[in-house]
Amino acid sequence: MNDIQLPPIDYAALLPMLIVFGLACVGILAEAFVPRKHRFAVQATLTLAALIAGLVTVIINRDLEVTTIGGAVTIDGAGLFLQGIILVLGIVAFGLIAERRLERGGAFVANAAHAADSDGDKKQLNEAGATEIFPLTLFAIAGMMLFCVSGDLLTMFVALEVFSLPLYLMCGLARRRRLLSQESALKYFLLGAFASAFFLYGVALIYGYAGSVQLVAIKQSVLDSDKSGVLLAAGLALLAIGLLFKAAAVPFHVWTPDVYQGAPTPITALMAACVKAAAFGGLLRVFNVAFETTSWDWRPVITAVAMATMIVGSILAVTQTDIKRLLAYSSIANAGYLLVGVVSLGGAVGSSMFYLVAYGFSVLAAFGMVTLVRDADGEATHLSRWAGLGKGSPLFSAMFTIIMLGFAGIPLTSGFSSKFALFSSAWDANQSALVIVGVLSSVVLAFPYLKVVVLLWLNPPGDETPTVSVPGYLTRAVVGVGVLATIVLGVAPSWLLDMVNSAGTFLAK
Amino acid sequence: MTPEYYLVLAAVLFTIGAVGVLIRRNAIVVFMCVELMLNAANLTLVTFARINGSLDGQIMAFFVMVVAAAEVVVGLAIIMSIFRSRRSASVDDANLLKY
Amino acid sequence: MDGYLGSYATLGILLLVAGAFFAVAYTANRLLRTNAPSAAKSTTYECGLDPAGGDWAQAQIRYYVYAFLYALFAVESVFLFPWATVFDALGMITVAEMGVFVAVLALGLLYAWRKGVLSWTTA
Repeated sequence: MNDIQLPPIDYAALLPMLIVFGLACVGILAEAFVPRKHRFAVQATLTLAALIAGLVTVIINRDLEVTTIGGAVTIDGAGLFLQGIILVLGIVAFGLIAERRLERGGAFVANAAHAADSDGDKKQLNEAGATEIFPLTLFAIAGMMLFCVSGDLLTMFVALEVFSLPLYLMCGLARRRRLLSQESALKYFLLGAFASAFFLYGVALIYGYAGSVQLVAIKQSVLDSDKSGVLLAAGLALLAIGLLFKAAAVPFHVWTPDVYQGAPTPITALMAACVKAAAFGGLLRVFNVAFETTSWDWRPVITAVAMATMIVGSILAVTQTDIKRLLAYSSIANAGYLLVGVVSLGGAVGSSMFYLVAYGFSVLAAFGMVTLVRDADGEATHLSRWAGLGKGSPLFSAMFTIIMLGFAGIPLTSGFSSKFALFSSAWDANQSALVIVGVLSSVVLAFPYLKVVVLLWLNPPGDETPTVSVPGYLTRAVVGVGVLATIVLGVAPSWLLDMVNSAGTFLAK
Repeated sequence: MTPEYYLVLAAVLFTIGAVGVLIRRNAIVVFMCVELMLNAANLTLVTFARINGSLDGQIMAFFVMVVAAAEVVVGLAIIMSIFRSRRSASVDDANLLKY
Repeated sequence: MDGYLGSYATLGILLLVAGAFFAVAYTANRLLRTNAPSAAKSTTYECGLDPAGGDWAQAQIRYYVYAFLYALFAVESVFLFPWATVFDALGMITVAEMGVFVAVLALGLLYAWRKGVLSWTTA
């Protein structure tokens, strides 16, 4: 029994994740022991502190390159940058989650287990919302951070579940339209569990092929092994299904519009920004580290998926009549663009990360503004209700126009600079077909965005045009930061491009 | 015993689970099918651990079991709350979100 | 049937054969079978008893969160067994690490207790 060696643990490298996980646990304690009156303030402070402390430690660790806990975690330049993205976007999304001025008690319900429209449910209509949302957010974000730096597939699976399970729950916690919210939680959960089962079976098959689930060892055994590649190919296919589901790529995208529409809007924003970053962080790492040498096998398939995702996402976005569904389909199309970065491998890692930052800020601002357009029943998300908002709320409409132009990829916005960076690195990697499909589909995708802009400014306001709430300071900050980032990253993107390029790529040893 | 039989059994179980998820209508049954898929993956892991002569696969099966238990609890809680609201656990009844 | 595209051609032929097999089998079945539907055949059980009532039997669920917790904690203990066989060889560090693990679990239990999950509900 003495031959067991404890793997060395580099606590400094793990510190960002330990802080976020640890303070999430403290959040649970606070939930149990802090009096109800003070709970919100304590939890909000704790969450913000955890995210900021995590970000600071990530920045301190920025030059670290180390593989620790027996290869379970690989801290490297790209991984740290992805963690930083997730934390920054998480801090911004926190503003939406903690907002309590738009609606009495916030966007979340106090007790989701009450049957809709029952007496208990009516009574809690004006109660303050559940503060469990904060520890859940922290657990989800910590899981995403771990997902991006997993050195083996098992850690990746555990991290996948750690960030998914809180999200399933948070989807069902909307204060308004509870049935929709619960339904979205159920759909997300069942499909998510289905996808993670595929992921796991893929892990098992790859373990059978390589005798290990460490990404580096898989790469090595691909090079050395003379075994038949059937297990490897089948395992990789199943693994990819699990990852592409989280990334919302066609044909594994069907949950996206339903879940984005049904979930509370702050959670939708968190999913659109942070989960996208985590999912693509994982995809980039798996394909760049473990399967780079087999790219000849999977590239045609992932190329087809990327094309389908771009085309289906942008075409279906045209037909949408609900702003949240429109943004959901746009996020599917954006997943397609990011897949172009995955297919292009090494050279496109930096520009993919740049794209994640640019898209994350814009989408947070977009969903932040969706929470502001309200009538008596809560958010008015149907597009017809948005007609003529420009007359009464010019500032709001101007900001939303900037975001829409950014999504459409108009020059001088982050949408243009990020797409340009991504497509040019894909072009350098000889993926010209993908670039052509990407450019064409983004032309199609510009149409629904511009339709919204026309709707805001040129249509006459109807009798039922909802009001734009005066935002609380938190939402105001989120929208401001998002719009500012959309413009700054469009006008002067070079500093961030330098940063992603100097962040380096994934550690493959 | 040839360990390959276990791999085939696991593949069959996984397929049954996957088909079950796609065709069954009751959320609980769908959920049980997902668990069946996870356990098929576990069986594969343990069999490969035997074939490869390493313990890693068995350790992984432990982790999967724990994650599956957490998933069960979250899943049943969601199904429970939806059942309370609607008095039905049929997936077909959850149809408010459409185009 | 060789080369890169050749292997895809094999797959394509396999798919065609599979589709054809499906079509032929079902068509043959449809042509050969007799067809005499009757109401009795559509009932749930053909054992003479008419099924009565709905298929949803409802039971009052109380204390179910307790069961959830049990499922969770019983399964988490799986990590204790391998640890128990080696901890004396590895020293206090592993004891401390397992202490952290159990403490995190205990945190969940503490939370559940404070939320009143561990008491019998009446409604």
